[in-house]
Amino acid sequence: MNLRQRDRINPHLDLDTVDAAADLMALNMGPQHPSTHGVLRIKLFLDGEVIIKAVPYPGYLHRGVEKLCERLTCVQLTPIFDKHDYVAPMTNEQALNIALERMLGVEVPRRARYMRTILAELQRLASHLLWLGTFTLDIGGTIGGGASLMMYTFREREPILDVFEMLTGARFHYNTHQVGGNRHDIPDGWAAAVKTCMDQLAARMPEYEEQCVTNSVFLMRTKGIGVIETPLALELGLTGPNLRASGVDLDLRRDAPFHAYDEIKVNVAVSNGCDTHARFEVRIAEMYESIRIVRELIDNVPEGPICSLKPVRTVNQIKLPEGKQMYTAIETPRGELGTWLIGGGAEKGACPYRLKIRPPSLHAMAALPYALVGHTVSDVVAVLGSLDPIMGEVDR
Amino acid sequence: MMGPVDPALRDALAKQFPDVFAAEGDLDPNGVVVPAELHVALAKTLKESFGFTLYVSVIATNFPTSDGETYEVATVLRNPTTAQPFWWRVRLGADPQLATLYPLFAGADWQEREQFDLLGVNFVDHPDMRRLMLSEDWEGFPLRKSYAIDTPHTPWR
Amino acid sequence: MIPNPWLNGLVVGGAVLAVLMTLGALASWWERKFSARLQGRVGTTILGPWGILQPFADAAKMIQKEDLIPRDADRVLFYIAPLFPVTLVLGLAAVIPFAGYWADGVWHGAAMVADVDVGVLFVLALSGLMVFPLWMAGWASNNKYSLLAAMRAVAQGVSYEIPMVLAALVPVIASGKLSVTGVIAWQAEHGWIVARLPVVGFLAFVLFYLTSLAEANRIPFDIPEAESELVGGVITEYTGIKSGLFILSEYLHTLVASAVATGMFLGGGHVPGLAGLPIWAQVVISLAAMWFKTLALFVSIYWIRWSWYRFRSDQLMELCWRYLVPGGLGLVASTAVAVSLGWV
Repeated sequence: MNLRQRDRINPHLDLDTVDAAADLMALNMGPQHPSTHGVLRIKLFLDGEVIIKAVPYPGYLHRGVEKLCERLTCVQLTPIFDKHDYVAPMTNEQALNIALERMLGVEVPRRARYMRTILAELQRLASHLLWLGTFTLDIGGTIGGGASLMMYTFREREPILDVFEMLTGARFHYNTHQVGGNRHDIPDGWAAAVKTCMDQLAARMPEYEEQCVTNSVFLMRTKGIGVIETPLALELGLTGPNLRASGVDLDLRRDAPFHAYDEIKVNVAVSNGCDTHARFEVRIAEMYESIRIVRELIDNVPEGPICSLKPVRTVNQIKLPEGKQMYTAIETPRGELGTWLIGGGAEKGACPYRLKIRPPSLHAMAALPYALVGHTVSDVVAVLGSLDPIMGEVDR
Repeated sequence: MMGPVDPALRDALAKQFPDVFAAEGDLDPNGVVVPAELHVALAKTLKESFGFTLYVSVIATNFPTSDGETYEVATVLRNPTTAQPFWWRVRLGADPQLATLYPLFAGADWQEREQFDLLGVNFVDHPDMRRLMLSEDWEGFPLRKSYAIDTPHTPWR
Repeated sequence: MIPNPWLNGLVVGGAVLAVLMTLGALASWWERKFSARLQGRVGTTILGPWGILQPFADAAKMIQKEDLIPRDADRVLFYIAPLFPVTLVLGLAAVIPFAGYWADGVWHGAAMVADVDVGVLFVLALSGLMVFPLWMAGWASNNKYSLLAAMRAVAQGVSYEIPMVLAALVPVIASGKLSVTGVIAWQAEHGWIVARLPVVGFLAFVLFYLTSLAEANRIPFDIPEAESELVGGVITEYTGIKSGLFILSEYLHTLVASAVATGMFLGGGHVPGLAGLPIWAQVVISLAAMWFKTLALFVSIYWIRWSWYRFRSDQLMELCWRYLVPGGLGLVASTAVAVSLGWV
């Protein structure tokens, strides 16, 4: 049977062309399944345990956010954006507010840009810690070694959320960004708390890394699994760690700087492995890099105002120009989170006319039909975990 | 971001697509409007000759007008070497039909399905033009401006 | 010790049953506390001191739970499948002498339900049967996850049976006995297998230990359960006390497999310096020694479980057929050579 097309897996394989003797079994993995990271359904066509065709069905978490965006004003949108990627709300807010600022041509004060950079890197750490825990949970078992590492990573994530709580008063869904800057200024003792948290994490990270890379079963389960070749990764629009694990040296933090990234050096981790283990390596390296950036910036936050516009008083105080449209993207923990924003919507332009969110996770999910074929049911959870999808962001 | 496009790129594109790209001045920051029949050719040129190999997104938008409806489909590509994005728009009529980019970019598969799902833009020759997010029997296209936000629907079971 | 086999079976069997069932329940509590300590948690604390009564509350809850049967399930098989694992595991325990004593210069087994002449064979046969209830449950559930898990369980059980038999052959060849008591008596006289047969004895012990892990479906060999892939494996569709029986049987299997490994390789209840003591003292000390060794193995199994990851099923098969089976054959051959040359 010919599973491949144009030198790669054919995701639209006609099952009638498959050898009838193979006697395929259709297995619905999800929408209720312990390891699908939310409500994803993957229909697997199995020959024994080997996957012949995989058809993912996203959409179980579709909440019509883009329609909602056309009815809410720019000021009201920030808390909505918190809820797409519920593992990294901070960077989601930033993606929206940067898009609005670029369209309006608003300058952000230097202090706010530094704060945003620190928050983005802390959020990247929190997000990657959660990813590491759930990834090993998938490979190692809910009742087993994987759960042990998950407990540790959740313990490490806690101080980061505490730091966010000190700043914004919320452990999640912060609503701390606004057009022109930030809403909450740094409280007393915050820098010390961040440094303590980073010291703790920096001391413990090598242990967690070692627990994975010195474990032969972990290596057997990840190496050579779920290969996404470089051209395919580019075509699919994989971004962030997934793209860098496929050997493309592209990081918007360095290549199209936003926040204060143009003032600091960002070392980008790239791997040519293209497989599950490469994605693991890239994310681990990014965590070390994030710790370094936070430590570098936390003592150097410049003084000054944190917002260049007057604070939010009414919901429709920000009006978008009509007839202007643009694409803006920033690098979130999962990759390129872009927004296509068209100004001049309802409420005399206070709402966007159209706001299309470009979620990195959706593109990562689109890689599944290619990455899974030829592997077994056990590998589905490893590949899915390594792509780090957040279903809230996939479905919106 | 898009800002003033690299002049070398603009000139090269102006040679290949003289009707669309002017050789002088900045390109439209909102995205150059390209005729529908040049859509695939432009994407192919950008991918193969100018290194825009990273498929970023496709965005369809519904514009109700006094005499019917128009649609705009914007496509965003990125050059992974320079990190430079490039986007263009295609204007479509009341019955939006546009050639698919799936043969060029595998990622167009799901993205075009999503735009079909939410706006009803039909991508011709797409191998699998089904709804992506909503259930198969959903009526209407939610992101069209004529679709009221409180349109009733039967719960999906 | 009790001359009448019927009376012996009743008294000792009852005692072994009671002890094993209690230990099986306590094992689940202990595992929760142990894993909690490994992960920086506290574990159960509420019911009884250190939450030790939790397993009994769990059992009471499981008995009360609604008994769901999937539509189109094979009802007969679905009902009887959970009965077998516990029964088989308890049957395994019948031929293990949990204590022993010196009399007339010979080591005698004590606290055993039945001194079967072919005890080792009996143990291997019963553990070979363990795949049947899993297959019955997986097939009867009418669930694809259960079916896949059952397929994996059978493949794994049948494959790992072979290296297990090979590993068990090493003490059998060395001692020339097929009863567990005989093997232990030989070890009491000549030294424990792990020490008496340098390298080979230890490797055979490791092989037996690994295959016991696989037979008891513990990480890294818990492919049939694989809850992050196959939801709940064969017990996906089981509710209440039926799933409880499966879970209990896993704890019991780990305990009994540890006891068998202790008997076959670690000298059972034998510890040096027993000879000359009164018989009752020997029995008490050897009973304690047997349980100490068994529980030490048991702890190590759970330690591995909570710190290792899981193989994939094809990697598991590869490990078995490419490494363990040839290794086991090599061990058997070298033991045979050693015995025939009179080195042992």
